[in-house]
Amino acid sequence: MNLSAILLLAAGLFCVGVYGLLTRRNAIGILLSVELMANAVNINLVAFSANSGSPLGQVFALFTMAVTVAEVVVGLAILILLFRSRGGVLVDAAQELKR
Amino acid sequence: MSPISLALVALLVPFGMALLLVLAAPLRRAGWPAAWLSVLAAAISLGASLSLLAHQVRNTGSLSLLEQPWLPHAGRSLVTVGVQVDGISASMAVIVTLVAFCVQVFSLGYMAAEPKADLGRYFTYHSLFIFSMLALVFAPNMLQFFAGWELVGLTSYLLIGFYYRKPSAARAAVKAFWITKFADMGLLLGVILLFAATGGFSWEARVDPAAITLLTLLIFVGVMGKSAQFPLHVWLPDAMEGPTPVSALLHAATMVAAGVYLLVRASPLFAQAELTLEVMTWIGAITAFGAACIALVQTDIKKVLAYSTCSQLGYMVAALGAGSVLGGFFHLMTHAFFKALLFLGAGAVIHAVHSNELSAMGGLWRKLPLTAITFIIAALALAGFPGLAGFFSKDLILEAIFEEQRWGPYALLMAAAFLTAFYMSRVVFLAFFGAPSEAASRAQPSPWSMRLPLIVLAIPSLGAGLLAWSFAELQGLPYQLHLGPTGLVASVLGLSGIVLAYLVYARRSIPLSAFASLAPIGASIRSAPIDRLYQALYAQGALRVAALIAYIDRYLIDGLMNLSAWLTIVGGRRLRQVQTGNVRDYVLVLVGALILLSAWSVIQ
Amino acid sequence: MIAALGFGIIASVLMLAAIRVVSSPDLVRSVLWLALVLVMTAVLFLTLSAPFLAGIQLLLYTGGVITLMLFGVMLTSRQAGVEIRNEIGAISPAVLFSTILFGIMGGAIYRSSDALPRPAFASAPAPDTEALGRAFLTEHMLSFELLSVLLLAAMIGAIVLARRRDFGAPEPAPPSERTARADEETRS
Repeated sequence: MNLSAILLLAAGLFCVGVYGLLTRRNAIGILLSVELMANAVNINLVAFSANSGSPLGQVFALFTMAVTVAEVVVGLAILILLFRSRGGVLVDAAQELKR
Repeated sequence: MSPISLALVALLVPFGMALLLVLAAPLRRAGWPAAWLSVLAAAISLGASLSLLAHQVRNTGSLSLLEQPWLPHAGRSLVTVGVQVDGISASMAVIVTLVAFCVQVFSLGYMAAEPKADLGRYFTYHSLFIFSMLALVFAPNMLQFFAGWELVGLTSYLLIGFYYRKPSAARAAVKAFWITKFADMGLLLGVILLFAATGGFSWEARVDPAAITLLTLLIFVGVMGKSAQFPLHVWLPDAMEGPTPVSALLHAATMVAAGVYLLVRASPLFAQAELTLEVMTWIGAITAFGAACIALVQTDIKKVLAYSTCSQLGYMVAALGAGSVLGGFFHLMTHAFFKALLFLGAGAVIHAVHSNELSAMGGLWRKLPLTAITFIIAALALAGFPGLAGFFSKDLILEAIFEEQRWGPYALLMAAAFLTAFYMSRVVFLAFFGAPSEAASRAQPSPWSMRLPLIVLAIPSLGAGLLAWSFAELQGLPYQLHLGPTGLVASVLGLSGIVLAYLVYARRSIPLSAFASLAPIGASIRSAPIDRLYQALYAQGALRVAALIAYIDRYLIDGLMNLSAWLTIVGGRRLRQVQTGNVRDYVLVLVGALILLSAWSVIQ
Repeated sequence: MIAALGFGIIASVLMLAAIRVVSSPDLVRSVLWLALVLVMTAVLFLTLSAPFLAGIQLLLYTGGVITLMLFGVMLTSRQAGVEIRNEIGAISPAVLFSTILFGIMGGAIYRSSDALPRPAFASAPAPDTEALGRAFLTEHMLSFELLSVLLLAAMIGAIVLARRRDFGAPEPAPPSERTARADEETRS
């Protein structure tokens, strides 16, 4: 298995995530895209770790996993709050920063 | 007391008095106390100056210098202030303080009818003037001189415009100020050039020949303004709007003499500039002749004397142009005394008949005998009557011009001598002899305060010629009494002028119509064309320049301000559109930045 | 050979699923496609000799995150029977940006491919779970502990945030109107 190939795969996954991030209007859709990106990062880390034999990559990947999960949790909580106060989760509706 | 202390006393006592009168308004408004205090200050100053002169006479050639460093620059002091006491400054100090004292005493009588507050104001200005003039006289360098010069200009403005409620007086004061200020620009440029060329303001600097001509010409422009030389003489006749004692002080003896004094002091500088000296001689001679012509046709006694002053100053300037520092300075001294006397005498006459016009006078020798006698003495001195003061000084000048072989100026000055005798005799005959007019027959004799100064000033007018030797010694200049053809011709011209005037005005044997052919000349050389020229220059020139500057200010500078304001507003509005409030746009920007960063890190 | 083929299959499935995640109009479908992505990632981890990580991935992500997402989707769309719309916004800048980004990263990877050691997975000692555990409990102990604190904080934060406020916050209006209004706002 070629390291470059794996890295390219991770890069591709990341870019798909970026595309989703820019495209989605629904907040959950954005969270999904962020998940994709985080996943890509993890693949990257683990690949390097396997390549070099150092466990550091996997350690780091574990950390990011945990942090990402925490982020999703809090994000969803905010989303629910948002939904309660305005009834929709379309990101476009959050215009408070305009004025 | 040491000379320095004497000089400081002479300088600072009037200043202290002026300051006191300015600050203590009740004292000033009381009128008479202020007057007496001012006279006292003038007397102290006079006493100090006389002691100083005596000291200088005893130790001829001594020089005392007090220099106080003033503006620090690059470690050393850029400018010093202080006093310089030598023969020149001591003599001038006596001239100034003596005339100032006499004028102040005279004013006690002349201005007695003024309201008290105005009286106080008047004497405050007088004290200030003495200080300003002495600051100039004792100046050890050109910068302090310039400071005193400007102060004198200010005092002149204040005193000419004393009757400020009268529009013509206010205008005259502004005119004097304007013209002398314009000339002062030249002086200032000259001083700056001096600093640029020599790094200092010394009187005796040696300047690079390339710069010296321009420098001295600029300084001479300043002199032309202050000493009313052609064509900057137009303010002097108008300045007669001020009270007559003021005219006696400022426009006969002291302020206008400041220009000549500058030339005397800076003679080491001017000696290095051939061209400037040439120009000076010509302008002096032209002024002397032209002003004398104008004086012929004046009906206001003060105007005659004003133009006469112009003319005599021209003599002094011409003398200095010919290199005769002694001639110029000596004539300054004699002129100060007899011209001040003439003005004060005229003041007495005006006070008696309540009018400046010659037509309101006549036969006054009966009513005002003392005034008449002193006035005649002074007039003869001015005309250069042999034996009187003016004769010696004028002779010196004419001899010097003759020696330098400047024939043009020589001829002009000789002609002016004739005219001088003529117009002065005319005044004498019209005012003091002949049939009295309405007002003249009702004239009352003047009070003692007005007669005493006349006597005091008559003495030097008579005898100053005898002092010529000691005067010259004081300045360290050679003097030789030279009674040659020049003196003879000048005397003959003077006497013939007197005789002609007698025939025309006293005996009426030659009617005025004989001179009708000369009338057009007289009309054309009055000041009016020059005044109109200045008016046009001012209106077209200065006002146009001001309008241009206003335009620049309004459209360009304000325009720039408005432009920047407009840019800010529009830019702000555009920038605000970036803040869409839309989260997705922000994310877009974020990703964009991410791309840029990664690209940059890859390139590195 | 087989390894390469296997990798190829995994990779293509992964990419396909990822694309479906971002392009599916139905939100629930997107979530499910994400589940597939996460499972494929776990498989990939296995091939990269990270079994522990693969297990955690399945447990945490596929199990936890997907469940949370589904709950979130359900909780935030209260219209019964109405299809949950998953709106797609402007596409072109997004395509542009992601392509550029891929170009940069791909270029970097390609250019440094010589520097990367060639297939050495077989020969190099891959880190095993024991090494991982040891690393956690010795070298990276502090980060480990901090991680637990972070998780605790996230948990508490989420609970506090999502709590129903009892001090009289008004019930939001029926979602249909409000969503319509929100759409109007966005269109303006």
